[in-house]
Amino acid sequence: MFPRQRRSVIAGSALLLATALGLTGCSAGGSGGGGGGGEFDPEAPVTLNFTWWGNDDRADRYNRLIESFNEEYPNITINGTFTDFPSYWEKRQTEAAGGGLPDVWQFSDTYLRQYGESGLLADLGELEDQIDLSTFSEGLLATGQLEGQQLSLPTGYSAWAVFQNDDLLTQAGVEPYEGGTDYEEYSEWMASVTEASGGAVYGGTDYTQRIQNFELVLRQQGGNLFTEDGQLAFDEDDLREFWERGDADRNGVVAPQNRLEEVVPLSGFDSKFTASEMSWSNFLAAYSSTTAASHITMVPPPTTDPDAKDLYRQGGLQMAISADTEHPEAAALFLDYVVNSPEAGEIFGTSLGFPASTSKLEGATLEGVDAQVAEYLESVEDRLGDAPPVPVVGYGALEQTFWDLGKSIGLGAVSVDDAVTQFFDEASATLG
Amino acid sequence: MTATATPLIVSPEDERRPSPGARGRRRRATTAVWAIVMVLIAAIVLYPLIWMVLASFKPNEEFGSNQGFFPENPTIDNYLSVLDGVGGVPLSTFFLNSLLLAVGSVIGTVISSSMAAYAFARLEFRGRPLYFTLMIGTLLLPFHVLIIPQYVLFRNLGMIDTFLPILIGKFLATEAFFVFLMVQFIRNLPRELDEAARIDGAGHPRIFLSITLPLIKPALISSSIFAFIWSWNDFLAPLLYLNSPDKYPLPLALRIFNDQTGTSDYGATVAVSVLALLPVLLFFIVFQRFLVEGVATQGLKG
Repeated sequence: MFPRQRRSVIAGSALLLATALGLTGCSAGGSGGGGGGGEFDPEAPVTLNFTWWGNDDRADRYNRLIESFNEEYPNITINGTFTDFPSYWEKRQTEAAGGGLPDVWQFSDTYLRQYGESGLLADLGELEDQIDLSTFSEGLLATGQLEGQQLSLPTGYSAWAVFQNDDLLTQAGVEPYEGGTDYEEYSEWMASVTEASGGAVYGGTDYTQRIQNFELVLRQQGGNLFTEDGQLAFDEDDLREFWERGDADRNGVVAPQNRLEEVVPLSGFDSKFTASEMSWSNFLAAYSSTTAASHITMVPPPTTDPDAKDLYRQGGLQMAISADTEHPEAAALFLDYVVNSPEAGEIFGTSLGFPASTSKLEGATLEGVDAQVAEYLESVEDRLGDAPPVPVVGYGALEQTFWDLGKSIGLGAVSVDDAVTQFFDEASATLG
Repeated sequence: MTATATPLIVSPEDERRPSPGARGRRRRATTAVWAIVMVLIAAIVLYPLIWMVLASFKPNEEFGSNQGFFPENPTIDNYLSVLDGVGGVPLSTFFLNSLLLAVGSVIGTVISSSMAAYAFARLEFRGRPLYFTLMIGTLLLPFHVLIIPQYVLFRNLGMIDTFLPILIGKFLATEAFFVFLMVQFIRNLPRELDEAARIDGAGHPRIFLSITLPLIKPALISSSIFAFIWSWNDFLAPLLYLNSPDKYPLPLALRIFNDQTGTSDYGATVAVSVLALLPVLLFFIVFQRFLVEGVATQGLKG
């Protein structure tokens, strides 16, 4: 008696719940399908989801930018959210699979193929009424292009550079490296620093650990890391030759790897026991704060061919719009404001990379380290070539593998030959 | 019996009695060696923790140049600066969110799992072995298989950016581990107690509330402690379902402090880590007596 009655109650409520689920499912689907159509009304109230990765400082700046955007477009409400970089991409992966990518989002060129090839990004070229593309140079536009579509736009750019800690060089009594010489001269200079300081300070870190330096060497010979269709553009011998290049330096000239492991996640340069390090030009601000050095000198990287256009404008940090946004025009207005407006230049300065758009650059006040980066970028103008082909899917993982193998060579845990084999095994697994 | 047994135990004692000093010394020496070994092992195990607490007093510039134990210029600035939080959201909000989720999880888990466990252990219904197997089967499903279907479900229900997707499962006894734990516990209770209650006129709700619940208290307490700690440390579910920074729990906020793409504030990261650890530590200190009790009782029942 009792159990039966209860069972029917349970069955009843289960049915009710199922109906409720069905109904909500329907209505959600309905509203999703209904969006996107109709004429764009610039006055209509619209809410956009916007998300980025980054720290406290960046969050403050974006919040100020959203405020300033709302003075111009009070009808567009921006829901700004943020997380850290690794979580950011985990979350986007889930949203890409389950629907619900944000309308406008901070993007990285490393992921351009992955999200672009699956049609998740809107073509910004079709939103030209809202987005001004004329403020970007061809080379910078190319960093967000895939198969003729403009899928994202860079907020800023940087170029590869040699950083030197002047305080350490003064202590050692060595003149700064002049930059742009051949690699042998750079190695000799590093050796002179290590020697002059009696081993307290090393001349540099093993540059063959970074794939960016390999890329430069390839570009100096007219090549690239990847082909246009997303394959490796170098072979085992190229890589072996490059890693063997560092053999002499690893023998007591550059900072030993076991010493560097102790200070991870900081680098030897951050920790003030290497006098030079190569990285992207936008690292200057971070280096200045970690080393607290009175001055850091930036010079162009060494090269095998002084006339080669081996450097390029790296537009890593980009902005993109999801293909399934319900308000493409409003999203485009906001994206344009982030990448192009002088207000964005004023608020962000160079913290999203050195401003890529000329109109954004006009708004930026370049002082201190920013001015120094601007000066450096101007000085290497002649060496800046075309943007390299769009990175392959999984480039981030390959870059890390390259670095890890370089470190293992430094520790003596793996021979150059084995490292080359391992890298190509990994690459063939990643590239399929 | 005692008369024969006592001399047996006492006799070796008697033999040693002539030199009580030597024996005492030896015993003290053994104890000292033990203590030293234990302290050493504890120091090794606790090293990262102590390092973290001490490092939270290092000024930011000291990270990287001073890997040692003690800060050269101790400061409490790290703590003062993290109180402001991130992006206009104060640190206290992250704490409150974490607390809300953790307490919600504990309440949900205890209520729903105990009810489900009672049903599995004491009620006769059709298909019970099948349902029980299915429930245990969910333990074998890796969470990663569920992420996307779950996300689609909650998105269609319009629950994204609320605490519901994270808490609703806890109120529906989806944590098979806890259900199983309690089922085993209830099965070991003598059925005669239920039957006695039934003779006195109690129905299932009454038996559950007045007989079963008080008797499975140790299981409830261990479940609460686990549910609290799991929820406090949970990173993935809040990451997937929460969008607004003012709804973030601590693990998400912690990652923002540690963002490697900008200039990382190591001092702040370590300071927040210490603060985030405190509630779990407090919770554990308060409840550890019950935890040990719970485990001990479980052992006896088996």
